[in-house]
Amino acid sequence: MAYENIKTQNPLLLKILPFLGIGIFFAVWEFVVDVGILPSTMMASPYEVVKLFIDKLSNPNPDGSTIGIHAWISAQEAVTAYILAFVMGTPLGLLMGWYKVARGLARPVFELIRPIPPIAWIPLCIFWFGIGITGKIFIIWIAGIVPFTINAWVGVNMTNPTFIQMARTYGASDWQIFKTVCVPSALPMVFGALQISLAYCWTNLVGAELLAADQGLGYLISMGRRLAMPSMVVLGMVTVGLGGAIIGVIVDMLEKRFMSRIRR
Amino acid sequence: MSTDTSSTANEIIIQTKAKKDFSLINVISNEYFLYVVSFAGFLAIWHYVAAAQLLGKSLATPMDTLQEMTRLMTVKLAGKNLLGHIWASTRRVFIGFSIGAVFGIPLGLFMALNRYINAFVKPLFDLFKPMPPLAWISVAILWFGIGESSKIFIIVIGSFVPCVLNAYSGVRVIEEELYDVVRVLGGNRWHEIIQVSFPASLPALFAGVQISLSISWTCVLAAELVSARAGLGWIIIRGMKLSKPEMVLGGMVMIAIVATLATVMIYGIEKLLCPWKRSADEA
Repeated sequence: MAYENIKTQNPLLLKILPFLGIGIFFAVWEFVVDVGILPSTMMASPYEVVKLFIDKLSNPNPDGSTIGIHAWISAQEAVTAYILAFVMGTPLGLLMGWYKVARGLARPVFELIRPIPPIAWIPLCIFWFGIGITGKIFIIWIAGIVPFTINAWVGVNMTNPTFIQMARTYGASDWQIFKTVCVPSALPMVFGALQISLAYCWTNLVGAELLAADQGLGYLISMGRRLAMPSMVVLGMVTVGLGGAIIGVIVDMLEKRFMSRIRR
Repeated sequence: MSTDTSSTANEIIIQTKAKKDFSLINVISNEYFLYVVSFAGFLAIWHYVAAAQLLGKSLATPMDTLQEMTRLMTVKLAGKNLLGHIWASTRRVFIGFSIGAVFGIPLGLFMALNRYINAFVKPLFDLFKPMPPLAWISVAILWFGIGESSKIFIIVIGSFVPCVLNAYSGVRVIEEELYDVVRVLGGNRWHEIIQVSFPASLPALFAGVQISLSISWTCVLAAELVSARAGLGWIIIRGMKLSKPEMVLGGMVMIAIVATLATVMIYGIEKLLCPWKRSADEA
């Protein structure tokens, strides 16, 4: 490409701006709270949040658990549901992509359940499972299974028809074509769903814990509200964000590893 | 025999469809027949599980749910019938989603078109991106109380992120060749933006809008479950407090219907605005 030759050095401003953005953000945040533009009942300064974080590392009061335990409970719920969604959603989607009977049987039910936000299942979950961990896993599972199924389905649909026709010409059975042509060609799409589904799972985890929980990061956030401690709310939000980002990076690494094996 | 020739870019696909005989096995394996079977089977299992009380009294039969929905149409709950509650939720989604899109889409486009704005905003945006919108509920209540504005705030946050992300990546994935055409024909930067960037990013934009919309429904529901006096989420939580599973299920069915209608509407607008979008990726 001709562009590569005329590419110039990035000006200094471009290198400074990212740090400037973050710096201004934290400065304004600290300033707004310290000066009292936002009263301390509404917002906590970054300094207070860090202080509370260090305190919460060892102190289980006033919400019952240290932050490590909250994070561990949340991660457990989310990861269990995420793995269950992958293990069940992907084969379902693959089968729906290839076998007409599977598609005919599963699609209407799938399309009926899909538009209902997973949060709406919370009351039924409380009826069925109580407020234990099972109900939350169920809600997160519903959220996570949709992208896995859709992507696997679309992945099989996008298989190059020439490959399928060639396999047919050589006398391969339906099952053999599915196994050796469709599934491998759908794999990039299947792995593409990993990040999407993770984001859904993590969002709905917070929703599930806001309403029915006695431990977990979502619970920490809602307790912060009830105790009117903005610093605890912000701490919960930051931890949720960080946790999501960390799991996202791990999934990204796994994804790259699998993908490099496929492209061999 | 009927032959259908369709051309997708540079490859030509010829499909030949043989007319099938009318036989029992063909009818049974017909996809649309199976849809009906599946739907009927779903309702039958639902009815059986509920009627035989396999889950205790915590599930209502489909018939009960339907009856409850018709009852809610006429009976007023908290001063509104079912339509009033649907409107309360839809109004929140509409306002919040509009604000989110009106601010999010231009921001995403600016970020993709100007690298200085991008360098300034992107790190901040990446900081907020992994935070689920539902985590903002507590902050929203602390800031705005439990009124209407706190719910709209959450929806704005939820719909903002996917709009920005998709507008940004929609412009970023445009092939350089398209810009070359404008440049060869003597266009300036302004022509590039108007004639290439905007139209070429539309499909990605609409994908973002669809995601935004479904997140908006999740947000409005979560906000209403936490604190509300009207709306579909309120109906669901009310049903839970009264231990009336048919009311909970009725609310869920209504949300499914309304959310589907909204999705179909956006899809129709998309088809109107980008007719060149290939039918191939409508899988």
